[in-house]
Amino acid sequence: MTDPFDILGVEPRFDLDLRALEQRHRDLSRALHPDRYAGAPAAERRLALGRAIETNDALRVLRDPIRRADALLQRAGIARGEEGEQKASPALLMEMMESREELSEAAKRGDPARIARLGGAMRAREQATLAAIQAAFAAAGNDPEQLKGVLAMLSELRYIRRFLDEVSAIEEELADQT
Amino acid sequence: MTLLEIFDPKARPSPIGIDLGTTNSIVARVRDGRPVVIDDCNGERLVPSVVHYDDRGNAIVGHSARRLAQGHPRETIVSVKRFMGRGANDPETRRLGPYEFVEPRGPEDAKSVRFKVRDRVVTPVEVSAEILKELRTSAERELRSVGGAVITVPAYFDDAQRQATKDAGRLAGLEVLRLLNEPTAAALAYGLDKQQNGLFAVYDLGGGTFDITVLLLDNGVFQVKSTGGDSALGGDDMDRALAERLLQEMGATRRTPEVVRLALDTARSIKHALTDAERVEIELPVQAGEASSGRPGSKLVTVTRDELNALIAPLLERTGVACRRALRDAGVQAADVDGVILVGGATRVPYVRDHVAKLFGKAPLKDIDPEEVVALGAAIQADILAGSMERADEVLLLDVLPLSLGIETMGGVAEKILPRNTTIPAGARQVFTTYADNQTGFDLHIVQGERELAADCRSLARFVLKGIPPMPAGMARLEVTFRVDADGLLGVTARELTTGVEQKVEVKPSYGLTDEEVENMLLAALDHGEEDLLKRRLVEARVEGERVAMATRKALAADADLLEPGERVAIEGALSALDAAIRGDRPGLIQARTDALDEATRAWAGRRMDRAVAKAIAGKQVEDVEAKVAAARGVDAHLAEHRGDDASRAPTETGGPSAASTGIEARRS
Repeated sequence: MTDPFDILGVEPRFDLDLRALEQRHRDLSRALHPDRYAGAPAAERRLALGRAIETNDALRVLRDPIRRADALLQRAGIARGEEGEQKASPALLMEMMESREELSEAAKRGDPARIARLGGAMRAREQATLAAIQAAFAAAGNDPEQLKGVLAMLSELRYIRRFLDEVSAIEEELADQT
Repeated sequence: MTLLEIFDPKARPSPIGIDLGTTNSIVARVRDGRPVVIDDCNGERLVPSVVHYDDRGNAIVGHSARRLAQGHPRETIVSVKRFMGRGANDPETRRLGPYEFVEPRGPEDAKSVRFKVRDRVVTPVEVSAEILKELRTSAERELRSVGGAVITVPAYFDDAQRQATKDAGRLAGLEVLRLLNEPTAAALAYGLDKQQNGLFAVYDLGGGTFDITVLLLDNGVFQVKSTGGDSALGGDDMDRALAERLLQEMGATRRTPEVVRLALDTARSIKHALTDAERVEIELPVQAGEASSGRPGSKLVTVTRDELNALIAPLLERTGVACRRALRDAGVQAADVDGVILVGGATRVPYVRDHVAKLFGKAPLKDIDPEEVVALGAAIQADILAGSMERADEVLLLDVLPLSLGIETMGGVAEKILPRNTTIPAGARQVFTTYADNQTGFDLHIVQGERELAADCRSLARFVLKGIPPMPAGMARLEVTFRVDADGLLGVTARELTTGVEQKVEVKPSYGLTDEEVENMLLAALDHGEEDLLKRRLVEARVEGERVAMATRKALAADADLLEPGERVAIEGALSALDAAIRGDRPGLIQARTDALDEATRAWAGRRMDRAVAKAIAGKQVEDVEAKVAAARGVDAHLAEHRGDDASRAPTETGGPSAASTGIEARRS
């Protein structure tokens, strides 16, 4: 059993209630955490350890919208990973390249206001993309053809994410310097 | 429920919790449902983490050792924790201190510091084991029989430091039930005491390490959100900064071990005195030959609290950086924190308290002694793990990995496999492929740390997976699996996928001492060597066999309905065979029969676990009402508030287009 929705026993959907998800993880941890099996036979301890790892990993997957979407697509039998990777549109690539240049320039100058502005704009875009993905999942139901439409949006979200990771890294570096 | 009373009902083994500190260590246990500190034979609660080796080769631990430190600076190891899991060439090893080290003979040897004490060579693991033995003796005096220990470690300890601590426990003859992070232990002691839900920050400034942990307390579940720190920053550094000043006052150009020890000890006393006093006057010896008269003299020196504050300000700034990062990692702001818990003797310094209050915008909690709170929490966890605590079913600690784990890839870049702040136990898999034609070996280098380049991270282990059949580049597929257990310790497995032949290599990161070395030390420590070791193996095998038998009987009583036809007979057969072996005196046989019982119950154990999971899920739907009560108490309000952030970004996830199977390859060997 490797499907994270099954492992956590939650309904497979994109718009998960994250608070309920975290609660479910805590409840399952109460049943599966190795601490609960401290006095158990070795085989049982190993089994519990494996399942606790699985549970923790499932939470990590579902908490992350990109990996959550991947898991949903995989359930629907749509290949992901290298094969399923969608080529980003040239327009998106160009735009991202420009944004990144602007970011690295702001980083070089140590301009926190500009970095924050770029990060803010990208976060807004991230929200919009997430909303679009959510709508697409809702509209597609279980239709594989329609679900494939999500792939391009996911690809865009990955670019956004990497940009934001870079923003965080730069902000962290600047914060540590002061 | 006590598992071992069958052996000797008079000496029921009791679990203990140990805070193995840089400056002081403490042992505690649970009595009548409450954690209490166990005094040593002189009625002292704190045992100084100081070990003196006398000229007969005996180890003296604690207060007496501390008194000997001044006269025998090289034969007395102070703050050994700073050296745990550290290499001979680690910058930390070479800092201000009076010790003599053995020059490493080679790179393997350099992985662990080795002190030269008189004619002996001792490792930090052995020195720590002496402290643990002393604590064990105190515990045995009160409890008669000790049944396993939880030992605390700084949350920011890396794998090598954890492994070293666990080995020290083993060497001291303790069954280490769990390594527990100090801040989590402190939160456990606080949380159970206050029965309060919410978001807490634990600011732990000990003698040699600094930890900051942000955790959520939700109805008995202590969930660590993030942790950070500096495993080479603590009260000792305050002493060092002040000692440098004293050495200048003393005109000490020749820094003999005695002078350095005196300066460090005096600095510590001054620091303590300045907790209550605004200024301290102290008489310092002026070094002979350097005083104007050419004779040894003394000099009156005044140190004010403001001066001390100025000296420690840069250290506190470093803790501030770690705090801000931990808050960022947890996705919260300082204002979201409901309470700040202070841990560690160094938090008694008034300036530290002011600094923490400023950082979090609220006065820190201080109702439990900051020096005892960790040991008390460890005792609670030990009691829970031993299954003897009533609330064991309610309390659960969910801790995290403090530093990212990764593998060195092409160009010396460290690719993160498990990011920091991942909830443990944790596992991850990554597929690598060959980059050269006919490459027959993978050279894998496992590292820990946040830096971009593997060379800047902590090196945990290197190993080679050999015997890959010659194939064009990129054809062989090597799957590397990381598993981190609840102690935060890593195990790595690698296997080759394409050939159909599964080749597995299991690696345990080493910190410089091999299993054999630890085993030999154990042997040497016992009076009658082999004979004692055999006895000890027999006792251990019996304890384990009894435990498994007890657990199985308990499960038979609770979940017999999940047995399949034939299973019960097999299990009962295995049980009576084990019972017979336990009555005998052959550890090997007891082990084999324990394994056989293990095997007989395996499938059934899986079904029981499924039932526990189903119960956990179903139970919760009924308990939704309770969740709403919790929300009213503030916890869920927090989560709801940060839900937006959570949903939009999980900064530590690696989710690029190159996620699962990149073409990054390990270097050819």
